[in-house]
Amino acid sequence: MATCSPTSCTASSTPASSTEGSPTERIDPATGTRVAAPVAPEVDEIDLIPVRTYWQLVRQRFLRHRLAVVALFLMLVLVALAVIIPTLTGEGYAKTSLSQTMRPPFTNLAQPLGTNQIGQDMFLRLMKAMQTSLFIGFMAVVIIVAIGVPLGAIAGFFGGKIDNLIMRLVDIVLSLPIFFLIVMIVAFFGKGDAVVVVIAIGLTGWTLACRLVRAEFLRLREADFVQAARALGAGRTRIASRHMLPAALAPVVVASTLGIADSVVTEAALSFLGFGISPPQASLGNMLKNFEEDLLVRPQLLIYPSVTIVLIVLAASFLGDGLRDALDPRQRVEK
Amino acid sequence: MTHSIDLGRGSDGPLLELRNLKTHFFTQDGVVKAVDGVTFSVDDGKTLGVVGESGCGKSVTAMSILRLVGRPGRIVEGEIRVHGRDLVPLSENEIRDVRGNTISMIFQEPMTSLNPVYTCGDQIAETVALHLNLGRKAAMDRAIEMLRLVGIPDPKRRAREYPHQLSGGMRQRVMIAMALSTNPVLLIADEPTTALDVTIQAQILELMKEMRQTNGTAIMLITHDLGVVAEMADDVVVMYAGKVVEMSSVTKIFETPHHPYTKGLLASIPRLGDRRTRLAVIEGTVPNPLNLPTGCLFKRRCPYAMPICDTAPPLQQVAPDHVSRCWLTPEGAAPEVGAAAPPDVAEPAAAALSVGP
Amino acid sequence: MTEPATTPSAELGSDPLERLMPSEPTATPVGGALIEVEDVVKHFDIRGGLLGISKLGAVRAVDGVSFKVRRGETLGLVGESGCGKTTLGKVILRLIPATSGQVVVDGKPIFGLSEREMVAVRRDMQIVFQDPYSSLNPRMTVGEIVGEGPYVHGLKSKREREDLVRELLAKVGLNQSHIHRYPHEFSGGQRQRIGIARALALNPEFVVCDEPVSALDVSIQSQVLNLLDDLQQELGLTYLFIAHNLAVVEHISDRVGVMYLGKLVELAPVDGLYNQPAHPYTVALLSAVPETDPRRRKKRLVLRGDVPSPANPPSGCRFHTRCWLRERLGNPERCQTEEPLLREIRPGQEVACHFSEDVTPETIDTATRRLPPVSAEAPVA
Repeated sequence: MATCSPTSCTASSTPASSTEGSPTERIDPATGTRVAAPVAPEVDEIDLIPVRTYWQLVRQRFLRHRLAVVALFLMLVLVALAVIIPTLTGEGYAKTSLSQTMRPPFTNLAQPLGTNQIGQDMFLRLMKAMQTSLFIGFMAVVIIVAIGVPLGAIAGFFGGKIDNLIMRLVDIVLSLPIFFLIVMIVAFFGKGDAVVVVIAIGLTGWTLACRLVRAEFLRLREADFVQAARALGAGRTRIASRHMLPAALAPVVVASTLGIADSVVTEAALSFLGFGISPPQASLGNMLKNFEEDLLVRPQLLIYPSVTIVLIVLAASFLGDGLRDALDPRQRVEK
Repeated sequence: MTHSIDLGRGSDGPLLELRNLKTHFFTQDGVVKAVDGVTFSVDDGKTLGVVGESGCGKSVTAMSILRLVGRPGRIVEGEIRVHGRDLVPLSENEIRDVRGNTISMIFQEPMTSLNPVYTCGDQIAETVALHLNLGRKAAMDRAIEMLRLVGIPDPKRRAREYPHQLSGGMRQRVMIAMALSTNPVLLIADEPTTALDVTIQAQILELMKEMRQTNGTAIMLITHDLGVVAEMADDVVVMYAGKVVEMSSVTKIFETPHHPYTKGLLASIPRLGDRRTRLAVIEGTVPNPLNLPTGCLFKRRCPYAMPICDTAPPLQQVAPDHVSRCWLTPEGAAPEVGAAAPPDVAEPAAAALSVGP
Repeated sequence: MTEPATTPSAELGSDPLERLMPSEPTATPVGGALIEVEDVVKHFDIRGGLLGISKLGAVRAVDGVSFKVRRGETLGLVGESGCGKTTLGKVILRLIPATSGQVVVDGKPIFGLSEREMVAVRRDMQIVFQDPYSSLNPRMTVGEIVGEGPYVHGLKSKREREDLVRELLAKVGLNQSHIHRYPHEFSGGQRQRIGIARALALNPEFVVCDEPVSALDVSIQSQVLNLLDDLQQELGLTYLFIAHNLAVVEHISDRVGVMYLGKLVELAPVDGLYNQPAHPYTVALLSAVPETDPRRRKKRLVLRGDVPSPANPPSGCRFHTRCWLRERLGNPERCQTEEPLLREIRPGQEVACHFSEDVTPETIDTATRRLPPVSAEAPVA
């Protein structure tokens, strides 16, 4: 790392000038003797740089990714809509109206996206669906992190037999056909319940987070600064929580954003097949349930949930990309 | 010897001549002038040592010769002449013809320089087949011969092995074999022994000496190790922050160094048999390439610094065949225009004294 | 009213280091053995098989090493890659568990202690790492890094910790205002100074310096070496200085040990080792170092072959497969069958070789002049 190679000439650090002091003596060329050097005002380069915490640097790197920033913005908008509108309108999404069936979209302020064949407001329905799906997506990731991170940390930190045991558990969970497992759990515990879907996805999806954290812990166990902490007398808890966990969380954060997208798609698939959320509850998946019929007769009803799913997945993916580069940068030096 | 680009072997003029070479990196934080006006030459069959520390630009200079510098860096100015023929305007195809053929390069880390998925024999044979237009069998035969020449025992077997099966010293020998397989006129060695143990380093240095003797290859040896330079080089170029600060024969550099940086470097390295109580020190650190001082780049660390050093010093001829980029006279006294001459006086004085860019 | 004769802090010295992190008086007198390494062995198991649990073999990184480190001295430890010197340094500090053996610190054996008991011992022995880029936690400020030791050992007051850190930064030549900066803002040499400040924060007696200047630029190396030297004088430290650069080791050490493939092959005062080496390997090492004088381009004694694998070391004397002396003596059986033990060949100089008496300037000269071919081939053992 100390050598200069063409692509890293910019040097990740901006080395400070001599704080070890410029020469206090100088050699007078005329006489060749040592004399006291005039003390020039020493501008310490490092003071020219404002103090930047590690996280400020991360934020700075993130903001350089325009696509990721747009994705973040989009995600926030979607979440805001999903939270605010259904809360304001309550049960409005489920209200049917036989007089208002199949109203076209963009014609009416009251029903901006039109209505479906039983008179439900498509906009409200879409918002509710998004709320349900996003809720499931986020909550599933919470469970994934809650199970995967501690298990991975323990496996990586202790190594040996404990690591072996946990990894075999991971292997077992992975060897089961995930989707069918989810279907079974949901079918067993009751269809239509968002909580069940969340738990099902969570219980089967923690393996990735576990492996990521384990890999980081295994790597960090050998890192010099961790050994330094041990030499100082720091206990295991302090080392794990203060030194290793913050570093290990970076890949988990990235995986989580992508996990949200993944969970939303899984939920959509489940509900589409009838194993997830069932009507009159709305979810992005079950809005697609009657797709054979809808495709021929009323295709616009399929477009709304499909486009929304795509938007969510794209937003989450780009956000994940941006976070990955912000947290673990390779030098992007192109102007 | 089939070199399609006729580089006029044996024509007059030095083998390699760099004239005012400038390679800059255009980064988001600013322009990094990694190589900023470097001029030196290598003669046929001679060994030039290029010495400096990290950030001085020695590696980038070498990479520039073979146009291996990637974005955001590029050569912005200067000439790279091999027997008079300038390499800078050559097309990509033409320069590829030069690489590994007329001019070969070996790197510091043989593990990352050798392709892990190909056998050693294959990698050498590929180079040979490409540049010498040989068939498969002939190329492999030559590869095995090269391995034998660099002292690898049982070369036929080793040729079928992969890089990870060999030790660091062996891998470096394979690199040397690959580099010399096309009989290049110039070998650029970028820190070839830095990653090796000292006893293996000794083996490799002896090998390079022997190869140089047998083939008459000129060597451009880039290193920060002054001991290696003392042992291998005929001439020495000292670089600092992208510029050449001193250049001379190896004996003159070691016996009568002129530039304060060279002097400081020589004084500060611990040597065998020299049991001093305190090492001489060069205070301070290498300047931030994005925030270089005006005038002499070494002035913040120089014990001889004078006000005139705020103006860029001339590249002076301090002795026959010995130049130094410093305001001090060859005797080491303050310059004629005075130690505190303002820029309007100093600049023309520098221009008058300079023997090069 | 008479003034109080001395305040407690003045008694211990006005040095904040001593006041905030008072060290217990050491039992060992200057020159006595502060650290005793007794037959330490460290093997790394190579595992494989179906579930990854069967033991295929072992890398014998450190294979029975014994020596003493005297209080106040700098013991240099040299050797090439794979000789086990870094592993040994970490084993002495119990950063890696040893396979067998014992280390006695200030009269107290430490291998049997529990982790809790070790915490107190760790105050007296610290380490400076080689790589300035990986030895500092990038997510912590300089203040937090240097202050971690004191915090763990009970100095909970933030103000006092900061005072201590400032003192330490000044001691290692860093600007005190940089206490809130992050490691990435510093150069390699400065980071190494931070690492040294961290090691000193607990006021230790003994510091293992694991290749502290190898990753630094040449012009910075001398700065850091001088700093280590000054600190040793000022604080009365004892160093185990691990390095592969023989010139650096000669410069800073009082005594030097040479390691090869997990064994200590020679241990001598620095002048004795460099002027009158007793082990053929030491001779080869010294011969291999390039001479920094173009006029004196020496002919050298080049070892043949590569270093054998520590997982499968040669029988008897580990060096016998590459030993020039053995070759010269007509390949005696003994080198292959009997492992030499460390014995005193001259006062204060120990060597592990059966034929060390034959290491004379004459034999060295003859072997050098013979100059084996440049082949990588090792003589068939």
